[in-house]
Amino acid sequence: MHCKHPSLPFPLTISSIPTKSNPQFYPKKSILNNPSSFLTISSTPTKPNPQICNKNPIFFTSSSRTKRLGLSSVSCLIMEEAPLEERLSVVDKVQSLALEFRSLSEPIDRVKRLLHYASILPPLSESAKVQENRVFGCTTQVWLEVRMDNMGSMRFRVDSDSEITKGFCSCLIWVLDGAEPEEILSVTAEDLADMNVGLPKKGRSRVNTWHNVLFSMQNRTQDFVQERKRELSLEDFHSLVIISGGPSGNGSYLESEVGAE
Amino acid sequence: MITTTTPMEGAIMKLPYLRAVCRNPNFTNRNSTSLRWRSQSWPLHVSASAASIFPLVDDPKLGPGSLGHITRSDFPILHQEINGSKLVYLDNAATSQKPTAVIKSLQNYYEAYNSNVHRGIHYLSAKATDEYESARQKVANFINAGAREIIFTRNATEAINLVAYSWGLSNLKPGDEIITTIAEHHSAIVPWQIVAQKTGAVLKFVNLTEDEVPDVGQLRDILSRRTKLLVMHHVSNMLASVLPMDEVISWAHDVGAKVLVDACQSVPHMVVDVKNLDTDFLVGSSHKMCGPTGVGFLYGKSEILSGMPPFLGGGEMIADVYLDHSTYAEPPSRFEAGTPAIGEAIGLGAAIDYLSEIGMQQIHDYEMELGSYLYDHLSSVSDVRIYGPAPSQTVKRAALCSFNVKDVHPTDIATFLDQQHGVAIRSGHHCAQPLHRHLGISSSARASLHFYNTKDDVDRFIEALKDTIDFFTSFK
Repeated sequence: MHCKHPSLPFPLTISSIPTKSNPQFYPKKSILNNPSSFLTISSTPTKPNPQICNKNPIFFTSSSRTKRLGLSSVSCLIMEEAPLEERLSVVDKVQSLALEFRSLSEPIDRVKRLLHYASILPPLSESAKVQENRVFGCTTQVWLEVRMDNMGSMRFRVDSDSEITKGFCSCLIWVLDGAEPEEILSVTAEDLADMNVGLPKKGRSRVNTWHNVLFSMQNRTQDFVQERKRELSLEDFHSLVIISGGPSGNGSYLESEVGAE
Repeated sequence: MITTTTPMEGAIMKLPYLRAVCRNPNFTNRNSTSLRWRSQSWPLHVSASAASIFPLVDDPKLGPGSLGHITRSDFPILHQEINGSKLVYLDNAATSQKPTAVIKSLQNYYEAYNSNVHRGIHYLSAKATDEYESARQKVANFINAGAREIIFTRNATEAINLVAYSWGLSNLKPGDEIITTIAEHHSAIVPWQIVAQKTGAVLKFVNLTEDEVPDVGQLRDILSRRTKLLVMHHVSNMLASVLPMDEVISWAHDVGAKVLVDACQSVPHMVVDVKNLDTDFLVGSSHKMCGPTGVGFLYGKSEILSGMPPFLGGGEMIADVYLDHSTYAEPPSRFEAGTPAIGEAIGLGAAIDYLSEIGMQQIHDYEMELGSYLYDHLSSVSDVRIYGPAPSQTVKRAALCSFNVKDVHPTDIATFLDQQHGVAIRSGHHCAQPLHRHLGISSSARASLHFYNTKDDVDRFIEALKDTIDFFTSFK
């Protein structure tokens, strides 16, 4: 049978760039330094240009596997030379991702791109692959770890037993890891519809795993936001000190309230 | 009608095969005035010379004149390209495709006599009622039941829930046992978990044998006077095993238990006779047997149905309604509250006409051949593990294969087959998580056939699968 996926005359070469101590989280720095990496697309991907591609990668890593992916028919997304001062917003990233996947007209190239992203997603430890971290409603197994860092940003780690699903998750991590809760909650499945492989853009099939992962990320984010509000509220409550001379507040809210009397 | 068969193919094979079909009508519409699918299949290709060519065909069962080749033209949906490749549809255990006859029956209903049933005096309502009740009779004939023993439901799941909530809640008490298998579809497990929780009944599960078949020996051992209900599939949607339900049912009856047979994977593919089986309940699904979605059926023995309380309250199921109480209609109306899926039931009737005109034994025989071909070729692909019993002289498998490929996720396989080759298969747990857990897997891929599939479909699937495996292996 004719094999439709072509050989790999044009391997995308990915440069090796050191990451922070926690490799699971893609460093914001890379985004800060290369904010427009998705925004310019070469529409004629006929000849390899490792030099350009070296600067390109959406995710910065090196992997021999990626060299065998054969992205020959895939547009090579190149970054502009001039760095921007601000990091890409979630909105920018969503638009960039949509643009990137829209540029891959051949289904196999979209699959290859997802497999590439899967290959650079650091695995979750086995201890994190527990029932409490499962994202349900998927035809594949997905585990999601969520935490809120000291700055109030959301940090995500995710893994799956399916390579294609892992590729979807990798994209979501790139978009949402390190973002503010309100940014995360503002993303809709429709925004990322172009990421679909083989599914209608508005497909809400139960196999549409990345929908479930996105919703799970958002639900967990919402939980953290509520918890943080509750903690802040308790903090203020505890700051109300009853002393012999009457109540006095040392929390900002109570200080203002008490002070207003 | 769109057709992909070449004129030569049609001329060569269609006529001789139909002779065999005519010899073997099955259950319903034996006096059918025409074999519509026949006339649709070869209106231009029949010639005197055609029949004489037949003996030259190498493989009369799976070759160009096979049932699959002949009937494909009756299914418009099969004649399209998906992602640049000709569609190969191998997800029939999930749902079947619909022949033109069924599609036209739906269209005709909505265009010509759409009306509510059982309550209108006008012509359209009378016509709709006649056709709706005629569909009930067709279902009854198809499984050799009485029309009043057939209740239309939304699907087989609702049919099982009907029995669970009506018969189960009013007949089970603490300590009673419901026996089922770990290989059931979720819809045959969850309702009984709910009923067991509500009644205090105990739910027991039969395991698999080493051959990966539900262990009927173990089942026989655990049957006792405490057993009040046995819930079992006839054909497994994952293992492809076919259980000896006539024997099993007689064992259950020996201890006074009732039996509910999940026949979703058997009724569309083989002769099923409720009288021979002597089952108390049997459920089936329209959309798996070439009928529309939105309708299924429950068969129940008349004497049992008559003693069961309603499942849902509303219009249609009552005799008289007073402010403080109501009296209920006799079955089947008692269990069909509200306006039913009229057009869909009529479409199911059309599907049964279609299947019956071919003959269920004919369909079964062909699917056995094609299923063996699928099993043999799939098992020859390296790193493939097929679940369920190995076929032999005594062990017959249904025409489906659930499988996994070493180190490649089934969903990735299904995605690539679809994207790159236009081959539609299933991946996931197929609504059988306990079974997957027992087998030590979280999911599997499944290729499932119907009579309109051909040897070519299987060949294309196998080649596409090999290419898929190569693809995923290439970057590991």
